[in-house]
Amino acid sequence: MAPLNPGRSRTRQAPIPTAAELEQRLLAGETLLAESPTHLLEVVGVLESYGEVLDAYSINLVYQAEKQFLNPLPIFKFLDGDPSLARIWKHLNHDRINFEYAEYCQKAMFWHGTGGLDAYLDTDAFRQSCAAIIRCKTRRDPLLGLLHPLFPDFLIELIRSAATTHALGQFWRVMSDLFLDLARAERDGRVGSIAQLVNFLMDGLVAAAAQPITYGVEVAGQRFWVLPPEAALTFLVDVAVPYVEAVFLRGMPFLGTVSFNAQAQQISPDQSRFAYGALYADPLPTMGAGIPPSLLMQDMYRHLPEPLHHWYRQQGRGEGDVRVKICASFQKAMFCVTNAAINGTFPHPLTSTDLTQQQANRAYAAAWVGRLSHARTDCLSDESAAEDGSRS
Amino acid sequence: MLSALLAIPFLGALGLMLWPGELSLEKVRRAALALLLLQLAWSLRLLLLFDPSCGGMQLQESIPWIESLGLEYRLGVDGLSLPLVLVNAGLTLVSAYASTTVTQRPRLYFALLLVISGAVNGAFLSLNLLLFFLFYELELIPLWLLISVWGGARRAYAATKFLIFTAVSGGLILAAFLGLALVTGEADFSLTPVLSGQLGMGTQLVLLGALLVGFGIKIPLVPFHTWLPDAHTEASTPVSVLLAGVLLKLGTYGLLRFCLGLFPEAWAVAAPWLAIWAAVSVLYGSLAAIAQRDMKRMVAYSSVGHMGYVLLAAAAATPVSLLGAEFQMVSHGLISALLFLLVGEVYATTGTRDLDVLRGLLNPERGLPLTGSLMIVGVMASAGLPGMAGFISEFLVFRGSLAAFPVATLASMVGSGLTAVYFLLLVNRVFFGRLAVTPPEPGGPLDIRLPAVPLVRHLPAMVLTLLVVAIGLAPSGLGYLSEQATTAMSQFPALLAAISGKPA
Amino acid sequence: MVAELPLPNLPLSMQLVWLIPLYGFSGVLLSLPWSTGWIKRNGPRPAAYLNLLVTLVAFLHGSLVLRQVWLVGPQHLAIPWFHAADLNLSIGFDLSLTNLAALELVTGLSLLGQVFALGYLDKEWSLARFYALVGFFEGAMSGVVLSSSLFMSYFLLEMLTLSTYLLVGFWYAQPLVVTAARDAFLTKRVGDVLLLMGVVALSAWSGQTEFTELYAWAASAPLTPLAGTLLGLGLIAGPMGKCAQFPMHLWLDEAMEGPNPASILRNSVVVTCGAIVLLKLMPLLLISPVATDVLLAVGAISAVGGALVAIAQVDLKRAFSYSTTSYLGLVFIAIALQQPGIALLLLFAHGLAKALLFMSVGSIIATTNCQDLTELGGLGRRMPATTGAFLMAAAGVTGLLPLGCFWCFGLLVQAFSAEHRSFAVVVLLTNLLTLFNLTRVYRQVFLGDAQPKTRRAPEVSWLMALPMVSLTVLVGLMPWIMARIDPVPGIASFSPGVAALVMGSGLIGVVSAAVVPLNKAWSRSLFKPLRTLQDLLAFDFYTDRIYRATIVAFVAALSRLTNGFDAAVVNVLVDRVGSLSMAAAGTLRLSVSGRMQTYVLTALVAIVLLLASLNWFIA
Repeated sequence: MAPLNPGRSRTRQAPIPTAAELEQRLLAGETLLAESPTHLLEVVGVLESYGEVLDAYSINLVYQAEKQFLNPLPIFKFLDGDPSLARIWKHLNHDRINFEYAEYCQKAMFWHGTGGLDAYLDTDAFRQSCAAIIRCKTRRDPLLGLLHPLFPDFLIELIRSAATTHALGQFWRVMSDLFLDLARAERDGRVGSIAQLVNFLMDGLVAAAAQPITYGVEVAGQRFWVLPPEAALTFLVDVAVPYVEAVFLRGMPFLGTVSFNAQAQQISPDQSRFAYGALYADPLPTMGAGIPPSLLMQDMYRHLPEPLHHWYRQQGRGEGDVRVKICASFQKAMFCVTNAAINGTFPHPLTSTDLTQQQANRAYAAAWVGRLSHARTDCLSDESAAEDGSRS
Repeated sequence: MLSALLAIPFLGALGLMLWPGELSLEKVRRAALALLLLQLAWSLRLLLLFDPSCGGMQLQESIPWIESLGLEYRLGVDGLSLPLVLVNAGLTLVSAYASTTVTQRPRLYFALLLVISGAVNGAFLSLNLLLFFLFYELELIPLWLLISVWGGARRAYAATKFLIFTAVSGGLILAAFLGLALVTGEADFSLTPVLSGQLGMGTQLVLLGALLVGFGIKIPLVPFHTWLPDAHTEASTPVSVLLAGVLLKLGTYGLLRFCLGLFPEAWAVAAPWLAIWAAVSVLYGSLAAIAQRDMKRMVAYSSVGHMGYVLLAAAAATPVSLLGAEFQMVSHGLISALLFLLVGEVYATTGTRDLDVLRGLLNPERGLPLTGSLMIVGVMASAGLPGMAGFISEFLVFRGSLAAFPVATLASMVGSGLTAVYFLLLVNRVFFGRLAVTPPEPGGPLDIRLPAVPLVRHLPAMVLTLLVVAIGLAPSGLGYLSEQATTAMSQFPALLAAISGKPA
Repeated sequence: MVAELPLPNLPLSMQLVWLIPLYGFSGVLLSLPWSTGWIKRNGPRPAAYLNLLVTLVAFLHGSLVLRQVWLVGPQHLAIPWFHAADLNLSIGFDLSLTNLAALELVTGLSLLGQVFALGYLDKEWSLARFYALVGFFEGAMSGVVLSSSLFMSYFLLEMLTLSTYLLVGFWYAQPLVVTAARDAFLTKRVGDVLLLMGVVALSAWSGQTEFTELYAWAASAPLTPLAGTLLGLGLIAGPMGKCAQFPMHLWLDEAMEGPNPASILRNSVVVTCGAIVLLKLMPLLLISPVATDVLLAVGAISAVGGALVAIAQVDLKRAFSYSTTSYLGLVFIAIALQQPGIALLLLFAHGLAKALLFMSVGSIIATTNCQDLTELGGLGRRMPATTGAFLMAAAGVTGLLPLGCFWCFGLLVQAFSAEHRSFAVVVLLTNLLTLFNLTRVYRQVFLGDAQPKTRRAPEVSWLMALPMVSLTVLVGLMPWIMARIDPVPGIASFSPGVAALVMGSGLIGVVSAAVVPLNKAWSRSLFKPLRTLQDLLAFDFYTDRIYRATIVAFVAALSRLTNGFDAAVVNVLVDRVGSLSMAAAGTLRLSVSGRMQTYVLTALVAIVLLLASLNWFIA
């Protein structure tokens, strides 16, 4: 047997921080991601490209929810209302943003169904507004008029889905602006460290926290509220938190790594125990078969800011494995965003000296750490970055 | 015309060694590549001059040499040897192309490659027994050096083993040739079949036996095969390509040309036993391959199995089976060269060939996706999947041999089925799954860094893949080239049996 | 025997019929720029569109040829491929109505399946590779159904094996996929090697590979009974593997690890291809009564066993893949009893309906991320296209309502009622069990309360819904299509009594499944014999374990033995001899560096020995 050649087949595994360590960092106000210049380059760069991509996702989701509402054949749903030949050609040539990934996130959020938005979708108020829309719709559309009585939940379910789509579009609008602001702030010198970066994100989230989430559609010239202002849905609690839950933490099993075979029982019957989200996913199979985030990595690859792209070209296989590197950086960035979200939602200020308040904060941090401790936290240390730097 | 195929490599080798001044590896390699390209072009020119509709020797050249010894410089080419000459030219070129990491004594290395190629050409082309033997031996020493100087950790053992085996092989062959001259009293060492009128069947069988063992070692057939896996594991990738793709064919070529060609009657007597031997060899090689953990050893054992088909086809000696033998020689040459190249690529990148260690190399960004894809094509070709060269070869062999030796043929077909087993295990283990180069464990390494393989390094493998597919889809060309020669060969035993059957 | 060249007076579409398989294969080449990653900035969808286009062209070309055949009658085209001595291999196309109808089934379902895949795999980055493989798949299948020669059929069946392996192995990084792809390949390969033995034997004995000439030869074949039996068994082994018949059915279960759009094709048209090859072999099987008996036994066991195993599955896809085994068992019985017409009708009716069933299954999985029947429920109120497709497919694949399979079952029962009553019972039992299975799945998936994983379940996107709805309509029109394919003696040529039997058996299945209590948690029965039976069926009679304990263990042991022998006996012996000769070289002091001397020495020793033996012989 030929011996393993350690010089050539470099495998590495940064130490995984313990739960106590993570909790201590959160309570001390330290960042989860280690402070280092390359980390800053990676996170700011990847968030900038993510911001560009989210901008497109957001525009499209809002367009779909408003203009393609209950359209049975939304052939041009990705064209954002611009069916010009040039745009159709680009679309056919797949020279475009992968909006399928935005839909994938929407489906994940809708399917996991947690938080205030989801709860509202089951209220009587929501049912009543749906009933009004459906009445208006079925009057004009005999096929729907026939299907609705036979499948009474069919249209309501589609409206619920559209509501989630629109809410996610609004959420991403805020996040896109925030990430692009961050890149500007970093260029201006206002953000120069991971700690400042997390603070910047936290401030952005806190500022948007109370922003209302509403959604109205127009059917046959008539305007209907789906998510009315009276529902008092807000950005942070009703959309951002369920989004983090569904996409960062739980996620959905990838066909490319997990068997759906019922007899094999690889997937938990309890969705709350899922751990397939962005913070848990393995970056290595990116761009392989059955790995949906590959679509996002491709989109970000097409919008990479030059400094980061330049740095990637010097790492590992250079352009050859750039999308795996994007994924690894993206995971670091998502830890920063999570970090900002946690910091922004502590029940009490971390500086509080009140014992019960400290207790509450500790309990809050412990709840998060319980879920983060088995995430891919090995990407947080700066050893990986140091090695990356030395390999160029 | 034919002499140029000897002159180009031999003079080239001499030139490389004698060139005044320092030569860097890259320069030597370029020079060798240029010479080998010339040799390939010349071989292709031969292809154009060759008349496939004629079954005999063509483009003959002869110069008397040491007449008292019966040694005559006499060359010729027919449908049996021409494809092998082409394979030799192509694969030596591939081998030199793949020799990018020769750090020590590059001049000697490439000169030896050239000598091997020239000697192999000589062996395929020579029409004199002693001349064949000279070339057969000439190829031996350079290969021994290539293994023992540029080989792996246990190269001394492997090289010695190789040397002993092939020396015995050479000795037996020489003994048989000399013996033939001795007992027939005709010392011209020409390629004329021996008739029972000249020589008793017992003597014929003994001489045939010596030749069979001699070539059986080279092919190799069980139980004379153990040098091959060791030689392959220790040899560097280009040498393995040459060894599997070209040098083993000297054995099967000898089997057809000399065993069958010189002793057709004795062959007909021995054929049932040879068929059994072939089946045993096929099954033995395939079963042993299943148990291997080293990719290279696995491919090496598969060679043992697949060369057994040639013996089966030769034993049956029907027009179709002999054509199948020719096809099998060519396709095994191409396919095994392809597989060794790819295994070499995996080894060069990961530092290991261990099936228990490698996983998931198909990973598109960090793995070796192109190597993996070509490997899938290669193993499928080797397993005899239609549309590739292996299938038509095996089909012809089986179709030609079934009527004569049904049991041995069916057993060999089982061996063909087993090929799928071990190669599928190889592909599934090494290329499927999550990328890893250590045994997977929970919380194991998350990040794997293997250097990328540039596209140019895959060029030979891609060309070989295309050739394998081309022969698989359009085998008529090769068939047309060789059919007359193999049909003519298949006529000897029948013809002679018919003649000797009638009382004179 | 003599290669006929395309007749010049034939319409162009017929002369160019050889292009039809090439359309599919060309999809592989067209996908290359994307599947190999040469195009890096843009996504892989153009490969999908190109493949859809060539499939559409194949479908249209096929329909043109079908129309021509309707007008000018069946034709045969042959193009010489390889010739050596007494061996003639040609690429032959048999343009008959049934073959072209099968071709339209293949290309049409491939087209619908590919559109469906565009929706199902919308978040798949390796889309180009998937479409390349489906193109390969389709090309091989088109060739198999049109083929007029056994050699070409074998050639393409084996390509089908390869593409099955690659399609099942599509998600190559998923651990169960790795074993599934391996098992699918090896199981089919066993069948293929046996079939190859048959093909080689037929070719060697008769000198022919064209079916028509083989039929003529078989009628007066000078074969011993043993040879005939072995030949027959070899020939049926290939289709058995392809059609997932007992005991070679395991791969279909495992193949469900592959992408659902490929499962659609696999459960409908791939198995159909295997059965069509068997249909073409049918006249040859008359040589061997044993082969016919084996066919009957395999078919009957597969039909009833497959239907029973299907009922015990908790996995949505597997519940229906076993039913495919079951239906192909019926086809085997029909072929063994010389009912090719009914067998073909059943293949058509089953193929379309099963494809629709798997589309419905695909959309359930895409919506709920779940294949576990115990975790599904309440989808019926929300997913009209999916529910409609399921109901239509269920009706089309069974004999309760007068859709496709009802007529086939009627014809089968009628045909068997005189002499083969037991097989008529097998047909009715299969119908009953299949309806039982479909009804219990319907109750679990579509009725009842929503479960956590089905709480939010909107209908699938139009790319999946459109092909599903189209196929729903097509399955609804199946009786009319069948009547056109087979106008004489008519699909309704069975007695009302038979019709009542078929409907009655179906009704029993539905009613019993409707009243049987279904436990959401699928707890195993507390009653031990029942539990044993449940497990036996749920784990498919433990076939995989039986395999592992027998054939796999046998080959593994044999290979270990060989390898051990190789290392411990052959190698050691060689090393001994080697060191002996080295020592000899040393003691003779012939050498400075022993190796070269060894070489000379051994050569000398060999010569001496040989000459000595020669002398002995001559003396």
